Amino acid sequence: MHIDWWTLALQTINLLVLVWILSRFLFRPIADIVSQRQAAADDLLHKAEAERVRAEEAESKAEAERQAMQKARGDVLLKAEQEAEASRAQLLEQARDETDKLRANAKAEVAKLREVQEASMGREASELAVQIAAKLFDRLPDAARIDGFIDGLAEAAAKLPERTRAEIGVGDETVAVAAARALSESERAACKAALAKALGRDVKIEVTVDPALIAGLEITAPHASVRNSFRADLDRIAAELGTHASA
Amino acid sequence: MTGSPLELQPLFELGPVQITEPVITTWGIMVLTGLFCWLATRRLNLKPGKVQAALELVVGGIDHQIEEVVRKDPAPFRAIIGTVFLFILIANWSSLIPGVEPPTARLETDAALALIVLVSSGYFGVRMRGAGGYLKSFAEPSWAMIPLNIVEQITRTFSLVVRLFGNIMCGVFVIGIVLSLAGLFVPIPLMALELLSGTVQAYIFAILGCVLIATAVSDESTDPAPPLKQGDRA
Repeated sequence: MHIDWWTLALQTINLLVLVWILSRFLFRPIADIVSQRQAAADDLLHKAEAERVRAEEAESKAEAERQAMQKARGDVLLKAEQEAEASRAQLLEQARDETDKLRANAKAEVAKLREVQEASMGREASELAVQIAAKLFDRLPDAARIDGFIDGLAEAAAKLPERTRAEIGVGDETVAVAAARALSESERAACKAALAKALGRDVKIEVTVDPALIAGLEITAPHASVRNSFRADLDRIAAELGTHASA
Repeated sequence: MTGSPLELQPLFELGPVQITEPVITTWGIMVLTGLFCWLATRRLNLKPGKVQAALELVVGGIDHQIEEVVRKDPAPFRAIIGTVFLFILIANWSSLIPGVEPPTARLETDAALALIVLVSSGYFGVRMRGAGGYLKSFAEPSWAMIPLNIVEQITRTFSLVVRLFGNIMCGVFVIGIVLSLAGLFVPIPLMALELLSGTVQAYIFAILGCVLIATAVSDESTDPAPPLKQGDRA
């Protein structure tokens, strides 16, 4: 076996040169570009990471804003609700006042109406009583319409105060006597006598007929009147009833 | 292919220097490879084109293999191992060109490759562990192993040379014999097989060179080289 040393030496040199050539024109540029790309990718990743962080911050900020907005909205709603509640209560109060007023008015109206009604009822009752009394007296003898009343009239006249009594039928003045029916002569005399006794002096009487009295006699003087008749009694009863009803 | 495969006939002489065929072929490979690399890497871009992507793939693959074997940053070893791999690959495949005999079919070229690997292993060992540390690695696990370790260095290098030379030379001869016996198109399957064998041999030579360097630069005295993943098919 024979080795060509020149060839061996040349090939070694050749290979060393090739190592340099490939290192210069292939390995170094490619490794450089790969590392450059790696650096660029790293840079890009860093940027993306920073961007992500920023986006997350923005998102959390937006979330906070949203929550604040929701809170404000809730506050506004609550306030509006409270206001509505207050105004509702106010309206209710107003309505209640209004109702109370109306009710009071109605009550007053009703009371007034009842009063009027009762008054009219009293009137009607008194009229009815007058009619009943008149009807009843129709059944009695005519004498009963006057007989019992002459003494009563004289007693009432006697109870009048002194001055009033003195003014009745002074001088030529006649005493106006109203009667339920025309008086007979004897009755007229009895009446005159009774009055004279009650007043303590002689008087002239002038009799007028008033069927509205039903039964009894009445004296009408300028400053006084003596009433002794069913009419007067019924009037008194009616007045009494009226005061009771209104009480 | 009529002469002895072990004999070299000088083509011409430059003074005392005899220029033989493998040297001429190697020059051609150097020029073409250099020209191609210069053109391809003239305008590199962050967004690679097709050629750049292919070159990046090749360089990345070499880096990956170196890293797997050496377990260190591949940058310092990239030029030696990468050049060895690419040169053997291109030289083996140059047999496809009619009339060209691959330089690796010659003992001198393979010896030159193995010599470079041997010297660079020493260089990296001294550079990374210091002269003392590198020399001490011969005395591991004990002083008694010094002669054996030295012999191991030589035999490993020698086995690199003989493996590559034997494989490629055989391929060339088989194709030549079949061509002379059978005819024009018959050796084509054998040539295809030779392409595959050339690739495998380039890979094996580069990886074993890598292991040699890894042994020299490894800090772990007990387990100098990690196990090879790819089987040693040589």
